[in-house]
Amino acid sequence: MSTGALTFGELIERHEREIFVYALRLVGSRDGADDLYQETFLAAFRAWPPPRRGAERAWLYKIATNKAIDRARRDRRLVPLAELRLAAPERDGVTLADLAASIRTLPPGQRAAFVLHKVEGRPYREVAAALGCSEEAARSRVAEAMKKVKEATR
Amino acid sequence: MIEQAVADARERLVWRARREGLATLGYDVLDSPLGPLWVAVGPAGVAALHYGDEPTASDLARLVRAHGPGLVPDPRRASGLARELEEYFAGKRRAFAVAADLSGLTPFQRRILGATARVPYGELTTYATVARRAGNERASRAAGGALGANPIAIVVPCHRVVASDGSLGGYAGGLPAKRRLLALERAGEVPQGGWQPSRMRG
Repeated sequence: MSTGALTFGELIERHEREIFVYALRLVGSRDGADDLYQETFLAAFRAWPPPRRGAERAWLYKIATNKAIDRARRDRRLVPLAELRLAAPERDGVTLADLAASIRTLPPGQRAAFVLHKVEGRPYREVAAALGCSEEAARSRVAEAMKKVKEATR
Repeated sequence: MIEQAVADARERLVWRARREGLATLGYDVLDSPLGPLWVAVGPAGVAALHYGDEPTASDLARLVRAHGPGLVPDPRRASGLARELEEYFAGKRRAFAVAADLSGLTPFQRRILGATARVPYGELTTYATVARRAGNERASRAAGGALGANPIAIVVPCHRVVASDGSLGGYAGGLPAKRRLLALERAGEVPQGGWQPSRMRG
């Protein structure tokens, strides 16, 4: 199912794994990631077609990010420490528990920017696309998040 | 661990998409004695059955035209057809209970495939006969074309249609597959080329 007409199934098969992993990193629990994965794909199906052929991945990231921010605002859920170790690699001598603890204090937009750039290694261009902001704004969110994480893990 | 979590999430997603009316067709890749079969099933029956693990680009375009983009991987929805195919390949089923959904095909293709669907289990007919039954006796070459592009193999039994000279003609799944299906249905009696058209029940 690769050429010509795009279907929901093709979108699922191509992107579900990375969207699930991204959701897991954002919300920190398997149940939460399961919900976010579903909300993301259902929203994509309802809003069909994708805005631009070839940009479906960025579109899904953007939907997932917005849904995660909505969720975080709605229920102010914190990232459980034990779950985040599935996702975040150790960096710069900061322990995972430290990192998890500091990530959970970030506001949702900064948290998403931090996870996308620092944990998933996405370029600012993609962070900006996912957050629906300029690259400049994405940089400053990541920088702001980094500052807070460093302060928290110092 | 991630794989299982994603598989569980997908199953729930497909169920919800179907409940919301977003998912119109469920597809799956089934194992068969003839290799993988890609099948798509909707409310009006089986919409596609192709040899291999994916549909052709042109047939996928037809499915999207006729059913929208809501094709989702849904083994549950395909399970009824899967069971019938298993029985068929085991020689325990002579007719399919599941309907063939011919939407998105041209009127000519529908007539040809409709005429083909009425050829009984184990019997043979010719492209010319199918064309005649579809209302255009001289269109046997076009009938061959329509059957070569049959998007619902096996269930619409185009393997029962052979050339007037007694040879097997063509088959989308390859001639070995056609031979094997006919051998299954006809206790091994398969035309090789020396087959007499007069024995047809066209």
